[in-house]
Amino acid sequence: MEIKFEHNRFGKRLKSMLAVDFRRMFTMRLFYIMAGICFVIPILILVMTTMMDGTVSIDPKTGTQTIVEGFDNTWQAIGTLRSDISVTTMDLTGMCNINMLYFFLAILVSIFVSDDFRSGYSKNLFAVRAKKSDYVISKLFVCFFAGIWMLLLFFAGAMLGGAIAGLPFDTGLAGMDGVVMCMLAKFFLVAVFVPIYLAVSVAAKQKTWLSMLGSFAAGMLLFPMVSMLTPLDSDIINVILCFVGGILFGAGLGAVSNLICNKTSLC
Amino acid sequence: MNAIEIRNLTKNFGDKQALVGLNMTVPVGSIYGLIGENGSGKSTTEKIICGLIHPFGGSIRLFDKDYTDIDVRAKIGILIEAPGCFANYSVWNNLMLQAVNLGIKSAEQEIVRVLKMVRMEGAASNKYKNCSLGMKQRIGIAMALLGDPALLVLDEPINGLDADGMRIMREVLVNITGGGRCSVVISSHILGELEKIATHYGIVRGGKMLKEMTAGELEHGCRTYVALWTKEKDRAKALLSCKYSQVEEEEDNTLRVFDAKESEEIVTYLYENGILVSEIKTDKISLEEYYIDLMKEKESR
Repeated sequence: MEIKFEHNRFGKRLKSMLAVDFRRMFTMRLFYIMAGICFVIPILILVMTTMMDGTVSIDPKTGTQTIVEGFDNTWQAIGTLRSDISVTTMDLTGMCNINMLYFFLAILVSIFVSDDFRSGYSKNLFAVRAKKSDYVISKLFVCFFAGIWMLLLFFAGAMLGGAIAGLPFDTGLAGMDGVVMCMLAKFFLVAVFVPIYLAVSVAAKQKTWLSMLGSFAAGMLLFPMVSMLTPLDSDIINVILCFVGGILFGAGLGAVSNLICNKTSLC
Repeated sequence: MNAIEIRNLTKNFGDKQALVGLNMTVPVGSIYGLIGENGSGKSTTEKIICGLIHPFGGSIRLFDKDYTDIDVRAKIGILIEAPGCFANYSVWNNLMLQAVNLGIKSAEQEIVRVLKMVRMEGAASNKYKNCSLGMKQRIGIAMALLGDPALLVLDEPINGLDADGMRIMREVLVNITGGGRCSVVISSHILGELEKIATHYGIVRGGKMLKEMTAGELEHGCRTYVALWTKEKDRAKALLSCKYSQVEEEEDNTLRVFDAKESEEIVTYLYENGILVSEIKTDKISLEEYYIDLMKEKESR
């Protein structure tokens, strides 16, 4: 029997690599667990915090009162208005919103990539493929799409949670355009975070703990900027900024990941 | 044309020199047995050939092209340490991933072919994590055989295989190398098994190629001896030592006479001196013994 192969051109190679990675990502139990978490968490947050309706805690020594404000609008789970963003104040609505997803993504990317190295799959792959860039590009694409799915599920969970909690859906100053732009900006921001996590994971290889720790640490550096870059009342500038950021980070850190793969031993 | 041609290969891990100017030539269509003690540099050499480790210096050519050439690399099949399968995937799905990676057009047919070769047709739907160690090794071989590679690099593939598994492995390797279609580099500590299939050998020690030879040269180089058993072993040994220069006593009470031409000559000589021989045979030293002798010889220098 004669065995026929696809042509060894970049496009064909990338196509086969993407086919494998998409198949792996979307048949991986972890992806569905993370997707489930992304869907359930906003429902839990919105329903539970509206039941609290503002919590007051008093310090017994000083008598100082601290009030934790709950959610009073469904869209707060998606973003904060530009005027309400303050870097120094981190309240519940600022911390427990869709931006958490960028940390969940770190877990997904770290485990997805380190699994390649732990199982020995990367050895089989790199023995027959001299171009490590195929691997890096494919991983960037697949993890980006996985991130988009997680964002959409979080969005759907937030809408459902808001409806269950009886919270208003009034977009206020942001308007529906602002919400759409906000979501678009957040989509492109996934392309900023994925290359960071990929570079860390490729460097950590089979050490999942190191890859996760490194990803969290690197992600933490950019995390405070997420709410500023993607406020609820985002406009086209925010979208363009995030898009350009995604392209630059993808290309730059993708090249770094490729360099790490090329310059370091794989076992 | 050689399948592999390595010249002056060097590699360091920190301060430790893993390879010190290693040379190696693997002819096309050969089964090349790479032998050496633990830490001698066998696995490092194999990993470098597969592009998994970067060498410090030296040149590696595969089928007359640089080893980084994209077309040459697509012709390699490997089994190094683990088979490279995902635990939660079935055997079929694991093979499918590699087939797609290789760009094989009729992947299903190809998977059926390789599973048949390693006699694993019935286990295609089993989850990889539920397979036994021997089955996993066979899956690893199947994975390496996908796409009918021109070069197979196998690191300790016989480990964990039962007698049937070893026989299957022998059959597979002999079949695929038939007609010079495929060349195999195989490292193993089970020298008895290696001796049954290898056509060429390379003995590595301290990161250097100590000796390269064909199976024919090994056959020629392995000394013949007469092994005999008698109840009066000590007296027989003393008598034989007077007539022959090299008489050795083995742990199983066998006496080995290395420079005897005929076994009849020994039987007659001992009988004339009142010693009865209960069993006698002419044999050759095995690859394992040859290897141990060679190592001892190098150590004594």
